[in-house]
Amino acid sequence: MKSKRKLLIRIIAVAVLIGIAAAMFVVGRGHTVYFDNKDLTAADGTEYKAYYKIEVFVGDKSVAKLSAGDRGMVTTMGQDFSMVLHITPTEGGKKVGSAVKLKLPYDMDGIILNLPALLSGAAEEVYQDEFIPAVVEEESEEAVVTDEFAIPTEE
Amino acid sequence: MSKKTGTTKNEKLGAFLRRGSVPLMFIVLCAACIPIAGLSPSYLANEVVTRMGRNAFLILSLLIPIMAGMGLNFGMTLGAMAGEIGLILVADWQIVGIPGMVLAMIISIPISILLGFFCGKILNMAKGREMITSYIISYFMNGVYQLVVLYLMGSVIPIKHSSIKLPRGYGIRNTVSLLEMRQKLDNLIPLTIGGVKIPVMTFIVIGLMCLVIVWFRRTKLGQDMRAVGQDMAVARDAGINVERTRILSIIISTVLAGFGMVIYLQNMGNIPTYTAHSQIGMFCIAALLVGGASVDKASIGNVFLGVILFHLMFIVAPRAGAAITGDSMIGEYFRVFVSYAVITVALIMYETNKRRAKSAEGERLRQEQLKEEKKA
Amino acid sequence: MNDIANSKKEKSWLKRLVESYGLPRLIITVFLLLLLVLAPFVGADLPTQVSNIIARFSWNGILVLAMIPMVHSGCGLNFGLPLGVISGLLGATISIELGFTGAFSFVMAILIATPFALIFGMGYGWLLNKIKGGEMMIATYVGFSSVSLMCMMWLVLPYKSPNMVWGLSGKGLRTTISLDGYYNQVLAKFLQIQIGNLVIPVGTLLFFAVLALAIWAFLHTKTGTAMTAVGSNPVFARAAGINVNKMRMLSVVMSTWVAAVGILVYEQGFGFVQLYTAPFAMTLPTVSAILIGGATVNKATITNVIIGTILFQGIVTMTPTVMNNMIHMDMSEVIRIIVSNGMILYALTRKTEGSK
Repeated sequence: MKSKRKLLIRIIAVAVLIGIAAAMFVVGRGHTVYFDNKDLTAADGTEYKAYYKIEVFVGDKSVAKLSAGDRGMVTTMGQDFSMVLHITPTEGGKKVGSAVKLKLPYDMDGIILNLPALLSGAAEEVYQDEFIPAVVEEESEEAVVTDEFAIPTEE
Repeated sequence: MSKKTGTTKNEKLGAFLRRGSVPLMFIVLCAACIPIAGLSPSYLANEVVTRMGRNAFLILSLLIPIMAGMGLNFGMTLGAMAGEIGLILVADWQIVGIPGMVLAMIISIPISILLGFFCGKILNMAKGREMITSYIISYFMNGVYQLVVLYLMGSVIPIKHSSIKLPRGYGIRNTVSLLEMRQKLDNLIPLTIGGVKIPVMTFIVIGLMCLVIVWFRRTKLGQDMRAVGQDMAVARDAGINVERTRILSIIISTVLAGFGMVIYLQNMGNIPTYTAHSQIGMFCIAALLVGGASVDKASIGNVFLGVILFHLMFIVAPRAGAAITGDSMIGEYFRVFVSYAVITVALIMYETNKRRAKSAEGERLRQEQLKEEKKA
Repeated sequence: MNDIANSKKEKSWLKRLVESYGLPRLIITVFLLLLLVLAPFVGADLPTQVSNIIARFSWNGILVLAMIPMVHSGCGLNFGLPLGVISGLLGATISIELGFTGAFSFVMAILIATPFALIFGMGYGWLLNKIKGGEMMIATYVGFSSVSLMCMMWLVLPYKSPNMVWGLSGKGLRTTISLDGYYNQVLAKFLQIQIGNLVIPVGTLLFFAVLALAIWAFLHTKTGTAMTAVGSNPVFARAAGINVNKMRMLSVVMSTWVAAVGILVYEQGFGFVQLYTAPFAMTLPTVSAILIGGATVNKATITNVIIGTILFQGIVTMTPTVMNNMIHMDMSEVIRIIVSNGMILYALTRKTEGSK
């Protein structure tokens, strides 16, 4: 009887841990979001023009001030992403505020958002793109450090 | 040595001095070095507080095996390895911040349990020389760790990101960045007092751990461990499963060391993949001993006193050495020497005390025998 | 009855072989033989490989020999080997500092190292007599402490020889010091035999043989047997009127001195003096070499030393070449760490009688 209860407690403990782990997978997934204030021509030929200036706020903090052609970035956690954009369409123009909320794709580490396309209400596949970091390789393979008792390599 | 004999004031003072000699020595050492090093008090305070948050949890993991009479657990390195493996995987999966830490800890649990079980089994086969054996286990496991991280990760265990993987396609780079996790726990509740940044949340976690240890001492298992630590034969006669209790104490210590390593590395902000764990065991043990612990007795107070004194020495020694000799390397070597020397002295004191106790016991038995002979 | 017993015996001859030779040793031997057989097929030149093994055996043999006296007197495996190594290093550096060159610098290095080895050995022996039963752990940390203390000393001691100190500041010894012009290869080149690619450093091997023979002979003298008695049964030894502490002290001093000579022989083969943290690197390979040779925590013979050093160095030299050529993956470091430490673990967990 007692051992049965013990087993049950253990199973529950393991299940709880796995549950927490699964939750962490969802909650804790980090993304890097890149904002582009750039001209974009979609596949169907629609053109989106860059704005004169956009300031991006995430969580009440200004993370980027983008002139036309600029790119900014922010790191976030989780898939629900919201930001506030302060847009100045043309030089000397009036500032317009706009709040954007969107879902980020789970399996992308780096996500490029083309802000002009996004604000014009284009489809997701138009304004969103995956950021693939350019692989910078050092020429030589890194020397791997082993234990402090290693025999000195004499050859 | 037994508790029954009444201790006079003098003996008590002697015992206090013996116990307190190492911390006292360190207080003198630090007091001498601080003015020479010429570091500002606020810098020192900041460093000590940071290092306390970074290391205290790891050192707490050493307490339980000491309670079970298994000496200083050099095998805590195993837990550190498990924590690192968890963090490497989490870094590759891009789980960041505190959820990443929690996930890394959860991943480390089964690995730690497995390694701890292995370690405990072997230590049961090497009773009486647990320390040297656990010490060699840490080197042996370092080989296995390298096998896994250097050859299996990326080839058998999927690793996606080339920022973590070696250019050759398998194996992990010398350092893995934890930028998105860096000090996330420390800064969760920001607090700065008089220019000193205090990692409040880390301290809360450490405080909780202390409470758990205090509670654990009173549980059935905790009592069993203390009994095993005092005398294995007596404990066995009392119906305690000695082997199982010893294995459990090592498993708990390994799991805690894994958690501690995750906390340690979130503060550092990167993983030195092949070197992080090899130093950690020695520094934690040295710090505990500096705090006045011995091989068979250690308290939570020793942990905190040890962290403060040991790391104060660690910060000021290179500066003081450079100021005196004009060579910065001397200070570097000096602090390494001090860490080793502290462990050496503690081990020697432990062994001589053990022998003294043994011969005192022998003397007592002989006296009793003589008395009985006289009676007869 | 007898028949059954006989058949049982017959059946288990393999088992008995395994028992007498030791399973780990058997596996390692088979592994080494396999590597040797494979070597020609993967394009490695067998005579060169064999020469390498012999050369490395000749460098390391005497260091491994330094384990024997302490194991015999019951002090366990000499994890305090760095102490002897440091004596040797002091001998080497002082000999160079005093301006000796060529083969004579080697003789002087040994002579100068001797008093250091005696003093360090006596201190070390005195300490180990105070802490009987806990020798191995403390020996390890005595080794660590002394190496890190010497790290400071190498910087501070007033060495002047331009061949040894840092060129820029003119003080503090370099981490590696070349022995060209001093005793580089003095033993190895003596009576060297070369057949094609096979090179045999007869001089070094002879030197090893002389020392091994001396230790073997010593262990068969009255003092030597007394030392063995102390190790195998201290209670009996004390009853027989042997001064246990004196015997243990003698064994530690001997071990330390042999280690000092051992590191000098290693250097003459390697061609460099390595200072600072380098002595750390000598301990575990040396300890595991003698264990691979079949020694236990309290029993070791010259044969163990020879077999163990050949097996260990064989694996260290052969695995990189064969592995690299076969699977283009150099796992030799990892294999070496696992094998050597695994071997020490195996020895530590075996039940040993009379060690405490």
